[in-house]
Amino acid sequence: MTTVQELIQLNNTKRSQLTRENLKYYEEMLLYIRFASGRSEQQTEELLLELLEHVLQAQQEGRTAAQVFGDEPKAYCEELIGEIPGETRKNQLLFSARITLLFLAVSSFFSGIAGAGMYYLFHIGSGQTNFHIGSALIVVSMDVLLLYLFIMTVLRWVKASTFKEAKPKKGLEVLQFAGISTLSVGLFVAVLIITPDLGPAASIPTLYLAGIGIVLYIISLLFKRREISR
Amino acid sequence: MSLRSQLLKGILEGCILSIIKQQPTYGYELSMKLQEFGLTDISEGSIYPILLRLQKEELIAGEMRESESGPKRKYYSLTEEGQAALLDFKQQWASIKAPVDRMIDREEG
Repeated sequence: MTTVQELIQLNNTKRSQLTRENLKYYEEMLLYIRFASGRSEQQTEELLLELLEHVLQAQQEGRTAAQVFGDEPKAYCEELIGEIPGETRKNQLLFSARITLLFLAVSSFFSGIAGAGMYYLFHIGSGQTNFHIGSALIVVSMDVLLLYLFIMTVLRWVKASTFKEAKPKKGLEVLQFAGISTLSVGLFVAVLIITPDLGPAASIPTLYLAGIGIVLYIISLLFKRREISR
Repeated sequence: MSLRSQLLKGILEGCILSIIKQQPTYGYELSMKLQEFGLTDISEGSIYPILLRLQKEELIAGEMRESESGPKRKYYSLTEEGQAALLDFKQQWASIKAPVDRMIDREEG
């Protein structure tokens, strides 16, 4: 059984053998198909590698990717995506849970390290983190929701920008992405500020947050092992 | 989908099953064989949606395998259901082919 990781690795290596024209055509297909949500990852990667092999062989015989797959790559990709089996519910749930845990792990770890560092190195703050349990729960769930919206927006944006005849300027794309990111960060902070104090107050040493981050990260690794490729 | 393309798709499915039955095949090889037999109008890429559907219907099974001379490839083989579907296709094809041939022959003769 070839794992998804191995398939992606193989794809990355082989892709470099494509001519510039074929690479451009193939990579758009790859983006479009890979970002189709809810499809079996294993089947998707097997298909992508298969298509790549086909282009490579056709290339050796002097045919281009456009000749192999036709002049309507978007419609062709939609047709392919429609036939790829869906990811199992279980894997989808495990994946979302893992991403959520990773997000919480990273934010918790770095706020712990940053907060503790400020205190121990520069004597800024108290080295303690004070919070209200109710508010903390609201902030965490709102932030997870925002993360979900952020990922969805980026995916949709990437999908919408593939197969465009006239590519928007690179600078504009960077600006758009920066805009989406800034808005998201702003919203994360806004949630933190707007949420009123609710529930009993609590206080823990800020460094503990880093520890919590590590624990959450380990749990997310366990989730990863439970995801079964199919 | 138009009737014409639906008809062609059904026939193409049958052809693919038949080629895979003769020996496990990978995508590129399959499309070359279809061309060798003279189905040159069919674009190379059109086999992949069909291969995906045949897998989903469990008529064929794909397996990543090292090939003797080349890289790791996905080889397709016929399942038991696939054998039955191919038999079914052959019967249906025979029941269409003979009458159509007779009609065309009479018109020409």
